[in-house]
Amino acid sequence: MAALALNLLIFLPLLAAVVVWTLPERRQALAPQLSLAVSLVGLALAALLLVGLPGLARDESGAALIGEARAEWIVVGERAAGGLRDGVILRYHVGLDALSAPLIALTALLVPLSVACSFTAVRHRVREYYAWLLVLTTGMLGVFAARDVLLFYIFFEFTLVPLYFLIGIWGGPERRYAASKFFLYTFAGSVITFAGLLYLGIRAAQIDGLSVIDFDLVRLSTLSLTQLSTTEQSLLFAALFCGFAIKVPLFPLHTWLPLAHTEAPTAGSVLLAAVLLKLGTYGFLRFSLPMVPHGALAWAQVMGVLAVLGIIWGALCCWVQRDVKKLVAYSSVSHLGFCMLGMFSLLPVGLSGSVLYMVNHGLSTGALFLVVGMIYERYHTRDLDQLGGLARQMPVLASFFVLFVLSSIGLPGLNGFVSEITVLLAAFNSDVLGPWYGVLGATGILLGAVYMLYAAGKVLFGPLKEPPGTPDLSAGLRRDLTGREIAILAPLAVLVVVLGVAPRLVTDPLDGALQSQILDRVHEARAASAIQHHPAYAAEVHPLPDGRGSEEWYTTALFIGPEPGEGGPP
Amino acid sequence: MSQLEVLLVIGVLIPLASFVLLAFVGARLGKPAAGWVAVLAIAASTVLATMALLQWHGMTPDQRLAAHSAPLVWAHLGAVPITFGVNLDSLTLIMFFMVTFVSTCIFVFSVGYMAGHSDEIDGVSKFHRFFAYLSLFCFSMLLLVIADSLLLLFIAWELVGLCSYLLIGYYFHKKSASNAAIKAFVTNRVGDFGFIIGLGMVFAYLGDLSLAGAAQAFRDGYAQQSALFTQHLLGVSLATWMGMLLFCGAIGKSAQFPLHVWLPDAMEGPTPVSALIHAATMVAAGVYLTARIFVLLTPEAQLFVAVIGCITLSIAALVAIVQTDIKRVLAYSTISQLGYMILGMGVGAWIAALFHLLTHAFFKALMFLGSGQVIEGCHHEQDMRKMGGLCRKMPVTCWTFLVGVLAIAGAGIPAAHFGLGGYFSKDEILAVAWHRVYGAAHGGHVGTWERGNVGTEPDTRVVLASYAQHDPGEQVVHPGHLNPEPRTLNPLLFWIPVLIAYVTPFYMMRCWWLTFMGRPRDEHVYAHAHESKLMYLPLVVLAAGTLFASYYLFRPMVAAAAPQPFLTWAYDGEAAEAAHAQGALIDHGAHRALVPIVGFAFVAGFLAAWLLYRRGLTLAERLAQTLRPLHTLLVHKFYFDELYGLVLVGGTMLVKAICYAFDKYVIDGLVNLSARVTERVSRFSGVVLDQGAVDGAVNAVGRGTWELGGLVRRPQVGRVRNYILFATGGVAVLVLWLVLA
Repeated sequence: MAALALNLLIFLPLLAAVVVWTLPERRQALAPQLSLAVSLVGLALAALLLVGLPGLARDESGAALIGEARAEWIVVGERAAGGLRDGVILRYHVGLDALSAPLIALTALLVPLSVACSFTAVRHRVREYYAWLLVLTTGMLGVFAARDVLLFYIFFEFTLVPLYFLIGIWGGPERRYAASKFFLYTFAGSVITFAGLLYLGIRAAQIDGLSVIDFDLVRLSTLSLTQLSTTEQSLLFAALFCGFAIKVPLFPLHTWLPLAHTEAPTAGSVLLAAVLLKLGTYGFLRFSLPMVPHGALAWAQVMGVLAVLGIIWGALCCWVQRDVKKLVAYSSVSHLGFCMLGMFSLLPVGLSGSVLYMVNHGLSTGALFLVVGMIYERYHTRDLDQLGGLARQMPVLASFFVLFVLSSIGLPGLNGFVSEITVLLAAFNSDVLGPWYGVLGATGILLGAVYMLYAAGKVLFGPLKEPPGTPDLSAGLRRDLTGREIAILAPLAVLVVVLGVAPRLVTDPLDGALQSQILDRVHEARAASAIQHHPAYAAEVHPLPDGRGSEEWYTTALFIGPEPGEGGPP
Repeated sequence: MSQLEVLLVIGVLIPLASFVLLAFVGARLGKPAAGWVAVLAIAASTVLATMALLQWHGMTPDQRLAAHSAPLVWAHLGAVPITFGVNLDSLTLIMFFMVTFVSTCIFVFSVGYMAGHSDEIDGVSKFHRFFAYLSLFCFSMLLLVIADSLLLLFIAWELVGLCSYLLIGYYFHKKSASNAAIKAFVTNRVGDFGFIIGLGMVFAYLGDLSLAGAAQAFRDGYAQQSALFTQHLLGVSLATWMGMLLFCGAIGKSAQFPLHVWLPDAMEGPTPVSALIHAATMVAAGVYLTARIFVLLTPEAQLFVAVIGCITLSIAALVAIVQTDIKRVLAYSTISQLGYMILGMGVGAWIAALFHLLTHAFFKALMFLGSGQVIEGCHHEQDMRKMGGLCRKMPVTCWTFLVGVLAIAGAGIPAAHFGLGGYFSKDEILAVAWHRVYGAAHGGHVGTWERGNVGTEPDTRVVLASYAQHDPGEQVVHPGHLNPEPRTLNPLLFWIPVLIAYVTPFYMMRCWWLTFMGRPRDEHVYAHAHESKLMYLPLVVLAAGTLFASYYLFRPMVAAAAPQPFLTWAYDGEAAEAAHAQGALIDHGAHRALVPIVGFAFVAGFLAAWLLYRRGLTLAERLAQTLRPLHTLLVHKFYFDELYGLVLVGGTMLVKAICYAFDKYVIDGLVNLSARVTERVSRFSGVVLDQGAVDGAVNAVGRGTWELGGLVRRPQVGRVRNYILFATGGVAVLVLWLVLA
């Protein structure tokens, strides 16, 4: 039943896309409604699936999935009596676990909102537009649900195509350049990631002494670490980095993002920021950390430095922007820096803070793009110098705008704060990173307040300033928000407050999974390298009587993690 | 939760409910009704606060201890649970009472004040918003007061900052208001930046964000000489850094040097806001924070606190002398008084500083509301040079304002136990400062002195007294109690505050005299001046509070909450007096020493102001002419705004412009370059290699095959014998080759 729901959730939009595309010309007006209905069904399905999440968190083995569906899809090789030999299996294997559930929920929530926000904004080639949006939905949900690495990769690349068309056809004046750049840049990176994943799959088969290469996610994330050398893991990490870091985007690989965001139509920007950037962070979380923990350890400081640089750099770049949308886009660079900083603190706090950050960033940045889009629809400009004092004309929009800005700058009581503070505390506490990362990261909070409040202040407050001939209300808009627009923003506003007050809604189901799937692997790697590199030190830290202190014992001891005050291995 | 905690929590939640109500249906409630809803809510909180206070008063230490209950788990940070609970002690209760009481007065005043204001912008009334924000502010402030964890404190702290931002920018269609709001928020964020780092250090090194837990871990850490105490950065121990960074939050919120610049600009907000937020409660949050983290301060960090306080109080008082805007005089006097409190914290006058906070809240709210009455009555005239003689038009305001002036000036009868609240509190701060500078030299012995039953707080150990008799039998050495000899402070930390104690009455009397006394200087303003009843009732209540309640109500409550700091010292001037009365062996009581030094400062200050301003502005203008450079320096507020504008704002302008240019041209340029290189390479490979070489090769192969085909075709003309001939020949060659091989 759950499996059916999950598959419907993923493929119903694709089916609907075909229907929408082939609607007759005179029924064109049905396209938006149909898409909205389908995406709402998707939201309901996602809600249905998420009901099982608390049960999942209680599951001890950590192997259970919600809505698991598994089938062999492409099988190459010799079928012998004992099964397959000398071949490759590509499975269709989907399911939700604690790590992917929040992101699926986020996607399922934002799709109907971005469909609804396009009703008045998109007025040409309507059927195609909604069809691509629905195709994109399938891609995004598929990525997070995939349990097979190749399937993940297929969906991962699959998202590029609809977005390419969405930006390229319905985008701003520089849409073609932006679309090609976005496509080529991210594609170039992910090809290297693909190579890395292939290599890992092949090596996994070698290590396990099997002749069949399969790309099962769990299998690849539980490989014996001693078999895969540290150098190999570092190189693999670098390969995975190429695709994921561009997607995140991590400084200095971020320059495609402001352009793509600015040129994309509102729905495209919303989904790009809220969901597609998370593919990168999710990739690091799901693949880089558990599959090549040695590599992650070796690269953690580099990642930390890049994250901190991104935080500060993105914030400074925000500050000079005159285009509100570009400003919000650059703020994503800064925010995702926080996300990565938390992740590579390699602490439970940091990881759960990081996942929470993904969700929160999706909510608040998505909401900001929606608000900016609503302003743009009325005034046909996003130039800070041409707008001012809009709060007088649009008090409701102003309230929402201020709320989301405050959420974005991490005001306590709203969602952004919890993730920001946990991430910073984690960076402080981390023995991989350290206090300085926390200190430098905290400047992002300061700068964030500056640029966001200046922008909001310029647009909303002060004397009224409107470009001549605006607001343009030809599409049936009103000066202030219409009922439809309020309905789009209200759910996000509610979530922004709810997650600010009760972050445990997201983090509680996560903690167990993060520990068993990721942190234990990292600890294992640390223990292994401690023994390998500092046997004397290891013995010194844990001088053990009665024969304990063997390699196994040490591994298990570190598995649990160093006890406070005792200090772990370097 | 115990009954007492429930009372407080409900008291916190009522204003929140009022906020939610007003935010959503406030517009429908309309003009006066929305305001009265907020008044009702905060009045209910005041009633609860009073009930809680009375209940607490009647409890024995054991009962008080039993009233604490386990905090709630809010989230997990890894393995560390983050708990939120109520920090139940005398300080919390008295602060809670003060905030609700003063707020109620200000809310009532606001209803009157806003009634006379056109608050419609483009036909939409914002009246309800004002009271919604005020309610949200009260909620945040009360949350801050009851917070038992640094994180919860920080949350409330930021919310308070938000309300300040919203309320300063209330007249958002004015550019100056919008800018002032942003300036306030951002400057506060600079302080919060330090606070967050401090929080990070607390979490990293102490592993507990609750106040009690952190204090315990701090002690244990010292006993075990943990990294916090052994590691140094720039020659300062990490523990000191932690204290200083946490204190940074207070620097921002309490408008201390060098982040004091936002407070005068914050006067852009409506006057009741200035009274509530920027005088009585919010700015005091910084002092409250310092009081709560007092146990985490090292002596060096404490010295830092004292120095910051000392610089602030002097700068602000000097600037206040030349201000002509009535609200700005009050703003600078607020900064200066906050400086006194911070200095008090820094020299160890924990009790006196908080006592001063409470008395200051009353008299400063009183004066701000008075100024609001004046501004409202004079149709938005804020320039004191155009006022004068208003006493006849608004007598209640005039005389209640004078009560405030007397209180802030520290009027009282020296050497007798009689005076206004400000007299006691300021005197005690100075006394402790005196003691820290000269106490040891004058033979007043410094030692630990256990006051057996005075510590009425359940969890607390005991209040420390300074001027204790030297009796080894009474000297209780706590486990791990270190630092028996606090260092002697620099005399400047005593003499500068003393000097400023003469300046304070001067500028306050100047303010009062210019406004209410003398001859009217602007007939137009004078002619229309009037006062409104709804607005002066709160003034009377606050004046009564200033006159009577402060000393006997506040001082004992605060004293009962005094912490037992660990590395630093908290001095109790009162206890010293008591010891003195009991015939304890003290050579010189600090209070005695202070009488000739500062006891008559208020008289001198008043007299000077009176002499200078009794005949209007001419004398003062002539004096300003004589002291031109000094006057210019003060009028420009020591050029802080200009300096910050140039260095910080200009500097970041440059940096961010460079960053963006680098981003656009270098980083993105590299990306584009790589794309172009790829394109060139592919063009090269496409045109030259592919079409020329590869395709050429393919074509060549094709052509070769073609020609070969033609060549081979020739023999194939369909004659069978030819085929047989070829086949035989071929086989022969093959056999031959095989045989030979």
